[in-house]
Amino acid sequence: MIKSDIEAQKILCTHCGLLFDEVDEVCNRCGADLHQRKDNSLVKTFLFAISSLIFLIPANLLPIMVVTSLGNKDPGTIMGGVIYFFHHGAYGIGAVIFIASIAVPAFKLSVLFYLLYIVYWNKTQKAYGAMKYYRIISFIGKWSMLDIFVVALMVAMVQFKNLATINTGEAALAFALAVVMTMIATESFDPRLLWDKREKK
Amino acid sequence: MDTACKECGALVAQPAVDREHQYYCPRCDAMLYRSGQEFHYIILMALSSIILFFPAILLPILTLNIAGMEQSTTLVEAVWSFFGDGYTFIAVLVLLSGIIIPFLMLTLILMILIPIHYGVSPRKVATLFNLYEHLTEWSMGEVYLISILVAIIKLQKMAMLIIGEGFFLFIAFLITMYITMVWFNPHDIWHQQKSDDD
Repeated sequence: MIKSDIEAQKILCTHCGLLFDEVDEVCNRCGADLHQRKDNSLVKTFLFAISSLIFLIPANLLPIMVVTSLGNKDPGTIMGGVIYFFHHGAYGIGAVIFIASIAVPAFKLSVLFYLLYIVYWNKTQKAYGAMKYYRIISFIGKWSMLDIFVVALMVAMVQFKNLATINTGEAALAFALAVVMTMIATESFDPRLLWDKREKK
Repeated sequence: MDTACKECGALVAQPAVDREHQYYCPRCDAMLYRSGQEFHYIILMALSSIILFFPAILLPILTLNIAGMEQSTTLVEAVWSFFGDGYTFIAVLVLLSGIIIPFLMLTLILMILIPIHYGVSPRKVATLFNLYEHLTEWSMGEVYLISILVAIIKLQKMAMLIIGEGFFLFIAFLITMYITMVWFNPHDIWHQQKSDDD
């Protein structure tokens, strides 16, 4: 039977991997502060996930970049870009943008709320499966930034005075904030909470 | 039983330093131990990566040609465009995650390994480890690379494109950087330290 650190009344130094007794406060090998679980993990994860959800609304409604060609202003949203590529038969690139900018953030938030639900209601029997989702969102977290980098490059490249220019739209800021919030939410979440059995009150 | 899984908290045996095998947690399948490389190889790979870094960010990655007008962009200039449009927050975010943090990861590896190689106690560089682990998530060089490909596809209908040296150097930089990071296993340093004490 596998025992957890809490059951054995131990505390792990997450920096160097040494085990200590619950009364210890500082790791004597690497000098890091010891915490049995990340502080306020659930509250932080929840608040950052909610903020991210809020930022996603303007991120999807406002234009992410504004193309001006021959005096004509053409603001484009994220979804507008995806539709444009599908209309013009560029399915590959349309799919890449859709996955990175829309599917990944939506998936990440759903998983975060699912993880919170499992910990909050103490469904430890689901921990193993939830762990897989947790690893997926930690891995794909940074890829949502793709569209922001694309906008940076497009704005830098397309500056042809009267002929054609591209400028940043407000959605870029909202979207970048939403991505940063989900990344912080994922980082604040302590996956060990999924496995900790709590006594029923 | 002298350590615990960082991801699920199960008590597990401390894996020994091993250059060939990986170890996983018996309860949650998290990687407990990843085999690393000898320190002097890592230092050399990190140095080669740093040499590639500066030309990669300063040479043009793409040149665009519309009706005879030419425009080149480097990775650094792409960041300035956000400053130019007044979006300081995203400019800083892109500058940090796409350029500065990948470079910082390599300098941190050198700042950790070189002193240890010359016999300094790992405890003295422990804060650097801590920083390194926190920054891993925010190092987005590879995302920047894929975004260049997306930009190329987006722009190819609009104009004639010439791919510059910066693009290929950036790929070389990322490859050497990844080899360095895969070879670098912070765990080995503590373990060597422990056996020195015994």
